[in-house]
Amino acid sequence: MITASGITKTYKQRGNMLGARAVPALRGVDFRIEKGGAVTFIGESGCGKTTLGRIVAGLETYDGGDIVIDGTPMSSLKPRHREPFFRRIQLIHQDPYSALNPTRTIHQTLAAPLALRAKQTGRGKAWMEERARELLALVGIDPGYVLPRYPHQLSGGMRQRVVIARALTVDPEVLVADESVSMIDVSLRLGVLALLKDLRERLNVSVLFITHDIATARYIGGDGELYVIYRGQVVESGPTERVISGPVHPYTQSLLSAIPVLHGVERPGPERVVPTEALNEAHPDTGCLFARRCPFRTDRCEAELPSLVSDGEQAHACYHPQRRNVIPVEAA
Amino acid sequence: MTRTSAPGVRVKDLTVVYKTPAGELPALGGVSLSLAPGTITGIVGESGSGKSTLALSLLNAVQPPGRIKEGSVEIDGLGNVVELTGEELRRARGRQVGYVFQAAQNSLNPLKTVGKQLLDLGRSHDFDDLPALLKDARALLGRMGLDGGRVLDSYQHELSGGMRQRVGIMFALVLNAHLVVLDEPTTALDMITQAAILKIVRDVHHERGLTTLIITHDMGVAAEVTDSLAVMYGGRVVEHGPTTEVLGSPRHPYTKGLIRAIPRLSGDIDEARALPGRPPTLGTIPKQGCVFRERCPLRIAVCDTVDPEPVTRDARTVACHAVGHLATPVVPKEYV
Ligand SMILES: Nc1ncnc2c1ncn2[C@@H]1O[C@H](COP(=O)(O)OP(=O)(O)OP(=O)(O)O)[C@@H](O)[C@H]1O
Ligand SMILES: Nc1ncnc2c1ncn2[C@@H]1O[C@H](COP(=O)(O)OP(=O)(O)O)[C@@H](O)[C@H]1O
Ligand code: SF4
Ligand code: SF4
Ligand SMILES: [Mg+2]
Ligand SMILES: [Mg+2]
Repeated sequence: MITASGITKTYKQRGNMLGARAVPALRGVDFRIEKGGAVTFIGESGCGKTTLGRIVAGLETYDGGDIVIDGTPMSSLKPRHREPFFRRIQLIHQDPYSALNPTRTIHQTLAAPLALRAKQTGRGKAWMEERARELLALVGIDPGYVLPRYPHQLSGGMRQRVVIARALTVDPEVLVADESVSMIDVSLRLGVLALLKDLRERLNVSVLFITHDIATARYIGGDGELYVIYRGQVVESGPTERVISGPVHPYTQSLLSAIPVLHGVERPGPERVVPTEALNEAHPDTGCLFARRCPFRTDRCEAELPSLVSDGEQAHACYHPQRRNVIPVEAA
Repeated sequence: MTRTSAPGVRVKDLTVVYKTPAGELPALGGVSLSLAPGTITGIVGESGSGKSTLALSLLNAVQPPGRIKEGSVEIDGLGNVVELTGEELRRARGRQVGYVFQAAQNSLNPLKTVGKQLLDLGRSHDFDDLPALLKDARALLGRMGLDGGRVLDSYQHELSGGMRQRVGIMFALVLNAHLVVLDEPTTALDMITQAAILKIVRDVHHERGLTTLIITHDMGVAAEVTDSLAVMYGGRVVEHGPTTEVLGSPRHPYTKGLIRAIPRLSGDIDEARALPGRPPTLGTIPKQGCVFRERCPLRIAVCDTVDPEPVTRDARTVACHAVGHLATPVVPKEYV
């Protein structure tokens, strides 16, 4: 189990004429991933999702708060002692075109991490060969076809599966899938999501899923938890299905309202919410971070930052929470 | 002269080939498609189905190693653009047909400000009143929620993806073209930015009286903005009709599969199904028979040998033996 508490991260941007500018990417984020569980983060571009995913995978440092992996706080360890913990958390790059080394066959790509694994577990070459085939079969591709080939000889969907197979070489407990930059086709994408869901069930791995498309969060784990992040703050969280069908935070409602309606099959939700202006990182962060864009703001909203309050299941950071019907309804 | 009303477009039997080591292969295999004046038409399909190639053909802008091999593209006020050359063609682009290329985010010149690039564009189209052009551009950017003056003074790297996308749309509209082609205008943007851009596209379309073509691989995007929807597969238009009807009662098995692959916000999520198999590439598009048969649940014997002809009934065009073959005799067709 992984618990993140109060994670903060500020990037120092070497600025233009104004000198260095501090960009608060995460402002105290708490969450928990159970063994075999699914946690999804959604939010607009630049809200801190990738930063969080990289921190959880040990690829980025954080300024404050802590990550506790199976009871061990990472802050209590020297960097080189953290490595075995973070190795169990694998980031899956969602750009299958740049994630694989073009000069290596798939066999070579898998051999390197498997050799390390073989050394750790005292196994030999035969085990490596067998394991490579086993993993490719597990992700649903034909090992005989794929192993001798180079990435450019494979389709986008196959490459994506190879990337997942490579992540599985180290027997990870958590897969972090950041699809906010996904370039793969919609139909292929669903196949990859089905695979992640299947891996949860078969290997009991947990999935930390990052996306712009909330509907896909239902697909990968309707039984999981959904976190809505805005300018580095979690503004709403709870069981995925519950948050989607009964969002109370205006930002969550805006995200859900922005999902295209399949006219002819669906009708728009009756209470769709549209932000009054576009995201601007320069907006003040004294009060509610969403206040400048929120159609429901009051004076209080601009004065102080609402903190996350929970009813035990669903949590929100808003002074005027209210359920609204924003998601499309089936056309009769 | 610039038109002041929305033109109609008629693509007929268009075949576009790309030269490959295996010879010239068709990316479009005899496509026919009409855009009614004043409508927004969407083209959807998986990657490699020929969407961008079709869009480029509307400008006669297919680049080597590709070429338009057969067919015509009639645009009201311009004639058959396949026959336009040189100066005529250059002037039509931008002035009469506005175009936002796929990955517009990366198509700006990194060394010049947006405003400088706009002035270059105006000069190349012999605009006398450049200050008026700048003013129009500022107004358009303002409509799209940007600070026009600041954007014109910016270099590409100073703008976010969503801002660059809007700059692309401004370039397509600023010369007052009445036919606008947008290739993947929202790909890689987040949902809120996407919704804002789609709203702008729709509003400007109505305000200016345009004929608009939107290319996307995302059914949801097409559903949200288009009046009419064409579905492409393997270089063919396999289904075309009014958007709500195509979505509400799809007839071609491929259209049905695409719609079922969309994860939805309500209803049983387990009903979403990935389409089995993968789309063909240039080299693997079958030379005879239906291009979709490898992935089709309705395949019958005739599908292996005869390419289904598009059949139009009740404002809906479908190319499938299992849907249209009773109405019209099928004509075998061969592609090189
Ligand atoms: N290396 C960096 N240096 C400076 N600022 C950064 C860096 N990486 C990210 N940021 C800033 O941190 C914030 C969060 O960025 P992040 O990439 O985590 O967003 P995201 O939610 O993943 O967005 P997207 O949906 O576009 O992928 C943004 O303001 C971004 O500009
Ligand atoms: N310059 C090119 N050279 C060779 N083949 C190309 C070229 N451009 C596109 N193709 C091929 O033509 C087919 C259609 O491509 P494209 O029109 O870009 O499809 P889409 O926009 O639907 O993804 C694909 O098989 C693609 O690989
Ligand atoms: S706290 Fe106020 S401004 Fe913030 S989301 Fe709630 S209502 Fe809107
Ligand atoms: S023509 Fe045959 S193979 Fe093609 S879509 Fe129709 S039924 Fe399927
Ligand atoms: Mg990201
Ligand atoms: Mg394309």
